[in-house]
Amino acid sequence: MDLKTLCEMNGASGDEREVRKALLEAAKPLCSHVKIDRMGNVIAYKKGKGNGKRHVLFSAHMDEIGFIIINATEDGLLQFKPIGGVDPRVAVSKYVVVGEKKVKGVIGALAIHLQSADDRKRVLGYDNLFIDIGAKDKDEALRECPPGSFVYYDNDYQEFGMGSVVAKALDDRIGCYNLLRILEGEYEADITCAFVVQEEVGLRGATGAAFASDADTVIVLEGTTAGDMGDVDPVRRVCEPGLGVCVSFMDNASIANRELYKELMDLAQEKGIAHQVKRGATGGNDAGAYQRGKEGKRTCVLSVPCRYIHGPSSVVKLSDIEAQYELAKAYAEQA
Amino acid sequence: MKTEEFLRQVTALPGVTGNERKAAEFIAEAFRPYVDEVEITPLNCVIAHKKGNGPKVLICAHLDEIGMMVSKIEKDGCLRLQSVGGVDPRVLPGMRVRVFAREGELMGVVGATPPHLLKDADRKNNYTFETLFVDMGMPAEEVEKRVSVGDTVCFEARYVELKNGRVATKTADDRACVAIMLRTAELMQKMQHSADLYFVSTCQEEIGSYGALVSGFSIAPDYGVAFDVTHADTPGAPKNSTHKIDSLVAAKGPFIHPYLEKKLEEAAHENGVSLQTAIDPRATYTDADELSLSRAGVPTVLLSLPLKYMHTNVETFDMHALTEGARMLAHYLAAVDESWEDELWI
Repeated sequence: MDLKTLCEMNGASGDEREVRKALLEAAKPLCSHVKIDRMGNVIAYKKGKGNGKRHVLFSAHMDEIGFIIINATEDGLLQFKPIGGVDPRVAVSKYVVVGEKKVKGVIGALAIHLQSADDRKRVLGYDNLFIDIGAKDKDEALRECPPGSFVYYDNDYQEFGMGSVVAKALDDRIGCYNLLRILEGEYEADITCAFVVQEEVGLRGATGAAFASDADTVIVLEGTTAGDMGDVDPVRRVCEPGLGVCVSFMDNASIANRELYKELMDLAQEKGIAHQVKRGATGGNDAGAYQRGKEGKRTCVLSVPCRYIHGPSSVVKLSDIEAQYELAKAYAEQA
Repeated sequence: MKTEEFLRQVTALPGVTGNERKAAEFIAEAFRPYVDEVEITPLNCVIAHKKGNGPKVLICAHLDEIGMMVSKIEKDGCLRLQSVGGVDPRVLPGMRVRVFAREGELMGVVGATPPHLLKDADRKNNYTFETLFVDMGMPAEEVEKRVSVGDTVCFEARYVELKNGRVATKTADDRACVAIMLRTAELMQKMQHSADLYFVSTCQEEIGSYGALVSGFSIAPDYGVAFDVTHADTPGAPKNSTHKIDSLVAAKGPFIHPYLEKKLEEAAHENGVSLQTAIDPRATYTDADELSLSRAGVPTVLLSLPLKYMHTNVETFDMHALTEGARMLAHYLAAVDESWEDELWI
């Protein structure tokens, strides 16, 4: 399954049905056994050619950030809240689709001509942002988009510049894309690929998936914040697209197993795979849940540097996606 | 051409003030089947002349759009922008923009700091042109080769059909009104009219109505009809500054000729078209201001299409207001008669 298809599917935390179904179908022919667990994660197990003593779990999350409808105004504008960490300043004037019927809408804001000096300074929060679907009144708006409807940025996947990609949901459909590619390989070790739900609302899927296998080593494939352009302080830039897969020694949710971290760094060096160290402990991801699941597992995170993450137009380099795949595959091959 | 199809295509074309050629060429071709002569002037106004023997009427809507220009290329290859016309920088983060470089169009992405890296103080400040940048997705030296300071930058172009005939698109301001003129010209093919009609798609409105200024001079009309957008009801708008989205608005005030305005109301009433009223005590900030002062003066009216979210990529209007507006305008223009002069002033 290509990355474009994966990114253009909608699946915010708690609304992963469409993505789950596609991943289940795609994984089925590539593994020995695939199941959906009680959190809704897709767990694909591939028996290795070896003696079954090594078992590595690779994980990526299938959910994305989004919004959810809570109500409508009397004049038919939808009110909404974010799912996951979404900067409301980025939501202004964006195209969205709402609910199962994929109703088209826009997030409009007061025209610049009508703003007072104070308005211009004031950040529009979720209390002051509305989705306009063209409804004439509250009844029509809520009939088309009942409370609880999920909302997505309506943006496609485009390659641009030189080897760059812009899309929504690159975090973490890139990981899902690479997990499927890992499943295509043949390995000595047993492999489990976990496509997990609800990462964006607190690593909830991975908490369940940690129980899904007896693997003692977990490699999480993620997208991570790159703050390398514009006016971000040099100390907060974290990583840079184009320099390769980002290996984390720690983030806000876990500290990488030191041996595993070293093994991955050495392997990248040995195989000539472009890599960089994540220079900052921003964000937290599923490694935190895996590390402390069951009796505990060794974990490390391999990330693709992603600019403008959690927005309608995140940007990554194709070469970094390849580097993430190469390093994860190399690890599986030598396990 | 069907109005929807014209709008879909014309709103996608770049035409930032001062660089309107592409939009002008497309509009000229669209008018050609319905009028006697079409001309693109040196400043990129499109004049579509539908001949008659009676009073000369200039009807105008502007074809230029607000946009941006590249003001600087940073060492890391990102572009800084400057606004051309009133662009609200708050709408830009996360937007895909079109950069019109020497050798063609390039796509760029307006960067926004990831939420994970924001400090509390950052969250309380809106993005400004000083803090926003455009990521071209290529190394700095490649950007330098392709992009120049001064290149035009446009909003991304989408045409989104919402419920109830409402449409969200870039540059409804003011090409939706150009579409009203086009539809009017088409309707008038089947109507009798004595007026000598000049449908003018004006350039450079957004920085001061210079297109209306020069075309008013060259055509020297007896009457003027300016067409622009006004604000439709939006949450948070100051009281009495907006209108319902579903019908056109006729302005009243010292810049507007009262007799001609009354004739507009008659055309609406007689043909069952709703028409709202706006009060402009002084300048209207549209082409009407320049047109009414052209040469020795031109009695002028102003019609406006209500628009939500003006000067953004999601300007939203009601297609019904547009089509009914064209029907009313056609009847108004068909009614223009030399006898109006007798009652114009006394």
